[in-house]
Amino acid sequence: MVRTKSRLGFIFACTILVSTVLSGCGSSSDEKIDSASKGGATVTLKMIESLTSPERTETLKKMLAVFEQQNPGIKVELISPPLQNADTKIATMLSAKEDLDVLEVRDITAKQFVTNKFIEDLKPYTSKWDDYKTLNDSAKMSAEYIDNTPYYIPYGLYQKVLFYRKDWFDEKGMTPPATWQEVYEKGKALTDPAKNRYGYAYRGGAGGDNYTLMITQAFNADQINPDDSMFLKDGKTIFSTPEAKQAMDLFTKIYNEASPKDSLNWAFSETVESFVSGVTAMLINDPDVIAVTKEKMKEGTWATAPIPLGPTGKAPRFVGAAGWGMTSYSTHKEEAWKLISFLSNPEQNLVFSKAVGLIPIHTTAAEDEFFKKGAYQPFIEMNNKPDAYFMMRDATDYQGYGESKKIAVEDNQALILKQRSTEDVLKNWDTYWTTQKANQKK
Amino acid sequence: MKNTAKIKKPLSGQSKFIFFCLLPAIVLVGMFTFYPFFRGIGMAFQKYTLFDLTDIHFIGLENFRTIFAQPQFLQALSNSFYWVFISLICQFVIGFILALLLKKPFKGRGIYQGFVFYSWAMSGFLIGIIWRWMLNGQIGVMNDLLLKVGLIEERIGFLSDPKWSLASVIVANIWYGIAFFAIMLLAALQSIPDDLYESAGIDGANWLHKLFYVTIPYIMPTIIASTLLRVIWIFNFPDIIYAMTNGGPAGSTHILATYMMDKIMFGGDYGQAAAAGVIMIILLAMYTIFYLTATKSGKGADF
Repeated sequence: MVRTKSRLGFIFACTILVSTVLSGCGSSSDEKIDSASKGGATVTLKMIESLTSPERTETLKKMLAVFEQQNPGIKVELISPPLQNADTKIATMLSAKEDLDVLEVRDITAKQFVTNKFIEDLKPYTSKWDDYKTLNDSAKMSAEYIDNTPYYIPYGLYQKVLFYRKDWFDEKGMTPPATWQEVYEKGKALTDPAKNRYGYAYRGGAGGDNYTLMITQAFNADQINPDDSMFLKDGKTIFSTPEAKQAMDLFTKIYNEASPKDSLNWAFSETVESFVSGVTAMLINDPDVIAVTKEKMKEGTWATAPIPLGPTGKAPRFVGAAGWGMTSYSTHKEEAWKLISFLSNPEQNLVFSKAVGLIPIHTTAAEDEFFKKGAYQPFIEMNNKPDAYFMMRDATDYQGYGESKKIAVEDNQALILKQRSTEDVLKNWDTYWTTQKANQKK
Repeated sequence: MKNTAKIKKPLSGQSKFIFFCLLPAIVLVGMFTFYPFFRGIGMAFQKYTLFDLTDIHFIGLENFRTIFAQPQFLQALSNSFYWVFISLICQFVIGFILALLLKKPFKGRGIYQGFVFYSWAMSGFLIGIIWRWMLNGQIGVMNDLLLKVGLIEERIGFLSDPKWSLASVIVANIWYGIAFFAIMLLAALQSIPDDLYESAGIDGANWLHKLFYVTIPYIMPTIIASTLLRVIWIFNFPDIIYAMTNGGPAGSTHILATYMMDKIMFGGDYGQAAAAGVIMIILLAMYTIFYLTATKSGKGADF
């Protein structure tokens, strides 16, 4: 009798447990299917962004409100994780097949998402989408970077430009620097530690790898392979040449003689803050900084110029991109595409690009006065000189890309602190990328 | 004896009933607490990278070999030691002094307590960001202050000079953790009966005697429990370092917790991160056993 009771108790407990677990696990997706199958019911799309900022999220919410107004049967739930670890959060959610329909895909995460089959090939949709034809070359190249397949539609392009204090340069009768050598010379001339003024906003902390790479590639511009930017045309790495040593030596001089000592550990916010608060005279960054400078600095005190050239008068450049993609397991793919195509249409893209400060994705935007003058003008200038400012593909499809960024920052800091020599650091990067290439899955 | 047997029988059925009622909770705790724990240990022995989840396989001790061969790991290990013990000692001493001062009633004590304790309510990342700006070499208030009072002649790179960077993050952590000890020890101090002090006073004890022979022995269980817990928390607390220095410059402020985060955030390597996590668990388990044995007290568990 006791045994029967305990068995019954056990079965009862298990039933409660299983039903609790199942109801917890399955609720959201079942709800969605139910609501979709009931004709006319509202479909809820879950969307996650990565490069979050309060202003950007606000703009996005306004755009989503317009979308919901135009599509009464669709609601969009936006998830905005903190910028610091957003990409890791997205990847973790995808690996757990969490409820997501639309997501922000970045050039640096696309390969990983495709390899793991997290995101959908958008070709069936883009082939029937008229606005795809007006994407500019950079946007199309970014969208189809992996396997020549559109896995996401960029919402804007990131391309670096030089910001400089026009008033300080005018005081000294100087023009903005055209080369890295001039960045050093003019930066040094503008440096006066007693006044807490420095020539260049050095970025030695998180994200600093972009700049060590930028100068090394500019110095190797004649030999670099634009399709495989960590390597030369002969297959060796860009860190194996005498030009790489010259580049790193010059960059170290820029830090030592024209930058604040503290900038060794500066990341995005410190470099921008130092520029807008009047500590540094030059800053190289993406166009999303334009909105901040416009807001915090007086008109006429600052301006932009093309990125610095290497010794042979060339500066390879990347066009970074991020955009909207669709999860491969979404149960509402048609609705998800409706949302992506809405956010990516020429009209909405202009709204987003202007608000966030990005280069738009459609050729039609070139006619917009907003992008023809002022701070955006150097982008047009660089586009018009493709021999000097030629395009390159970033090494984002290598498995060790993320880790290499961290290694580059730490090694560069060790180099500046004289804990390691230039030869030693370059040798380390050379070995790292040679190994990456050898291990790269074809 | 017979009586005891009679009492036990009905209780046995009741125990089973209670056990089955608790079973769903036990299973859920097992699923959500123990499963991730053992899964994490399993990952330490696998090639498990976020970049390619289609190729996960057992690789034995390879992850451990890789991280032990990295100078950053060994630096993080030694930094963890300084990070934990300097932070703990300073937090405890300052927290204890504050608790003693706050024990006696005075006008506005409630407001003052609020100020003392508010740091504990803030997020570690927020504290890290605030301290990062305060210690900024160019526009930070700390440099301005030191320059104005004439203590320094040129700005100090608190977060960019390896001579200062570890000390800077430890100072921020000390500031954050003082409130914890102040709260815990104040609660314990307020539970000491006044009679004990009166008796000690009659016996001729001065305040120092009262401190060492009444106060400290009475609150010892709280001291043992709170220091034990605090060591574990500080050891596992990457927030302030991550927000202030990201482990830099040149890895000089990495502790094991930030090193582990880096493995995931930049390399997407869950295998190596899990291996670092397993080493952290082993170190903490060794510490806990040693600490509880050395203090020869199970009272810590009463906390």
